[in-house]
Amino acid sequence: MSDTPPEVTIEAARESRFSGTSFVWIIPILALVIALGVAWQSYNARGPLIEVEFEKGAGIAAGATELKYRDITVGRVEEVGFTEGLDRVLARIRVDKAVAPYIDDGSVFWIVEPEVTAQGITGLSTVLSGVYIEGSWDTQIGQAETRFQGASQTPLIRPGKSGLQLAFRTSATGTLTDNAPILFRGIEVGRVGKAQIARGGTFAIVEALIYEEHRSLVNSSTRFWDTSGFSVSIGPGGAEIDFSSLATLVGGGITFDTFVSGGARVQDGQVFEIFPDRGTARNSVFSASEVDPLRISVIFDENVSGLATGAPVELSGLKIGEVETLGGVIDNDQFGDSRVRLNATLLVQPARLGLPDQVTAENALSFLQERVENGLRARLASASLLTGGLKVEMVEVPDAEPARLIMTENEIPVMPTTKSEVSDTAATVEGVFTRINNLPIEELLNSAIDFLGAAEALISDEDLRQTPEDVRTLLADLSALVNSDGVQNVPVSLNQTLTRIEGLVAELEQQQITAKLVAALDSAASAADTVTASVEGVPALVEQIQSVAAKADSLELNALLEELTLLTRSAERVLGTEDAVALPGALKGALDELNATLTELREGGAVANVNQTLASARTAADNIAVSAQELPDVVERLTALFAQASRTIEGYNKGDEISRTAQETMRDIQQAADALAKLARTIERNPNSLLLGR
Amino acid sequence: MVGMGLSGKRQAFITAREAGLVACIRCTKAWPLGTQVCGRCGQALVSRDRLSLQRVWALWFMGFLCYIPANLYPMLKTRTLFVVEESTIIGGAVELAQHGAFGIAAIILFASVVIPLGKFWAIAYLAVSVRSESTVSYHQRLRLYEVVEYIGRWSMIDIFVVAILSSLVQLQALAAINPGPASFFFALSVIFTMLSAQAFDARTIWDIQAKQKEASDHV
Repeated sequence: MSDTPPEVTIEAARESRFSGTSFVWIIPILALVIALGVAWQSYNARGPLIEVEFEKGAGIAAGATELKYRDITVGRVEEVGFTEGLDRVLARIRVDKAVAPYIDDGSVFWIVEPEVTAQGITGLSTVLSGVYIEGSWDTQIGQAETRFQGASQTPLIRPGKSGLQLAFRTSATGTLTDNAPILFRGIEVGRVGKAQIARGGTFAIVEALIYEEHRSLVNSSTRFWDTSGFSVSIGPGGAEIDFSSLATLVGGGITFDTFVSGGARVQDGQVFEIFPDRGTARNSVFSASEVDPLRISVIFDENVSGLATGAPVELSGLKIGEVETLGGVIDNDQFGDSRVRLNATLLVQPARLGLPDQVTAENALSFLQERVENGLRARLASASLLTGGLKVEMVEVPDAEPARLIMTENEIPVMPTTKSEVSDTAATVEGVFTRINNLPIEELLNSAIDFLGAAEALISDEDLRQTPEDVRTLLADLSALVNSDGVQNVPVSLNQTLTRIEGLVAELEQQQITAKLVAALDSAASAADTVTASVEGVPALVEQIQSVAAKADSLELNALLEELTLLTRSAERVLGTEDAVALPGALKGALDELNATLTELREGGAVANVNQTLASARTAADNIAVSAQELPDVVERLTALFAQASRTIEGYNKGDEISRTAQETMRDIQQAADALAKLARTIERNPNSLLLGR
Repeated sequence: MVGMGLSGKRQAFITAREAGLVACIRCTKAWPLGTQVCGRCGQALVSRDRLSLQRVWALWFMGFLCYIPANLYPMLKTRTLFVVEESTIIGGAVELAQHGAFGIAAIILFASVVIPLGKFWAIAYLAVSVRSESTVSYHQRLRLYEVVEYIGRWSMIDIFVVAILSSLVQLQALAAINPGPASFFFALSVIFTMLSAQAFDARTIWDIQAKQKEASDHV
């Protein structure tokens, strides 16, 4: 108890040093400061929360799924939920503060999933680690945005990623698949996006990206073509299978080349056509022009089938464009009736017109305007004889009714038309072929063969072979006969005959030979008509001839020959008679007489007569010359005659009058032969009648 | 004097200070009050460490500060193939309980949550009780202090488990266990609570008695 005083001193000391608290406090204060600092720092460093909507979750997990930018994690999904109405998945992503300002309204987000395609496997790392969200945005800080629409697939053109953005137009047969590579000399220089059907549905349009480093490979003269699939060709070098790569074989691909120099620099968004193959692409460079085509509308009065889209448009035989669209047009005000007219829109390439100045659609239009005023008209013409296809032709119509290219505001100019030149060649050719087909060629040939057989039989006949010998003896006899005195009287009668001919020529001169000739031609024409009628039975006639020939072969000709033989023999006998032997003497006398007569003639002015005769002949020749001037008329008539004759071919199947006539003719021939036989017998009985004409 | 103290009331002990002595806390030799340095071991002698409570509170606060992130951050990072799983102390225990391992979950909860929290409570209680009256007897308080001091080192068992697992399960790409940031904070927390407990001058427990006595004497 007595020890309390020191206690007091201690207490006093404690109080005095109370302000100097333990240094230990530094530790918690430091820790607190550090903790608060770290807390503040982490809070400060915490980026904003963005919301991205996706079509489906695809494995996004809260707290695990990362947001990556250029394959670097820049954020993490904090929460996954749904939008109102549960129609979309909403991922809330905490992004790094440093990156957050760049995530502006142009940002794109998509989920990276493992994907196996023909081009390869992508997103393989996500198989085990799970999906992640890839974001893409440009390098400019734009307007801040916290809610985004996630893309359903990897976008082809990412914001901020440089490259040449193109669009391709493809035909309906294109086999482009999404993400197909664009190859150049086998190296991938770009990629094709998702193909979409263009508005209107006439073609597919697909966006494509040429990587920045290959931008210079493409200019406005570049042509793209499809390399998908493979081609098989068999040539002298053997069979060849050609395909560019396995990827393009399966998934399709596009390659390109710049065939000509001097293309202009291509801007983003330029549309290129995709050609089916290299050849077409190459040709298009030289045929297509770089300027916009000129559209011209043409309304044809005739509704002729055969004009199709793509049909050529020609100016002076040179293709300057093609038919773009076809349609009907009803314009009561313009045409005065409500008939449907053919309205064709032509696509004219200004470059093909060979314009002297700048090649533009406007220049081409003004050129055409000028030509139309000079009579240029559009018309339909046959493009192909066999298919009956039509084309549109622009022709200069001389003395055309004045017309202008009708130009209305914001509408396609309308070009005046002229009468179409569409020949129905197809029908004509078809008719000709049908007729040829209908000809009884086989029957004709059979008849000919039969006829030739008969002729051969006739020629090989022994009697016929004997005929020349007989004729030779007959001629010998005849020469003996001519030497006889009786023949010598002939010149006198000859002189008389000449005088008569002279008179006859003069008469003819008076009677206008030409007119008669014309009349004769008329009769010939009518005769041809008759022939027309008669020719219609030619096949029957041929049969008839055949039968006649057969008949002749079997019967009548043999008989005739026998008769002829008999005749010649009797003639021989006749010549062998005394009278005949006396005949040369008579002939000699006759010639002497003739000689005397000629002397007489010379003395009695026969030469003057001859001269007169020649003069008359000259006048006749003049007349003939005059009549020759009328020849064109004759020629016309002949033409008409031939036309008639040609018409007659059409109907030769009708009737068989000619065959009947032929039959009759044959009978007449037969009768004539009989008469000849009779004559021969008569001569046999009375040889003098040959000379005396009794 | 000693006999007096010993034969006194059961509840009232004579402190060394009352006896005019000061004990060396290192070699336990008692010296007359006023001796500055222990003649045996050279330790500076003070009858009462005036800054004891300050140190206790400072370190206690420090330990508690570390205990917060120790529970918020993951204790273990378990990587199997590509999946990294991070579990906090309580999260891990709950997960184990969900898998049916209630025993292990209970041990983890006891070692990592109940004991540290109990230590915080105990130290805080002791530190508060030396300043004010308490219904708990001095002996019980002293026992509590001894338990706290004893149990403190066992709190490191969590850290041992983490260390052992981390060193054992390192199968390259297949699986790996790494300590999370919580293990660091947990270790710090344990260290600071141990230091806090050590900083407590148990002799001050008795000062309350002296004050009470004084108060009753004055009355």
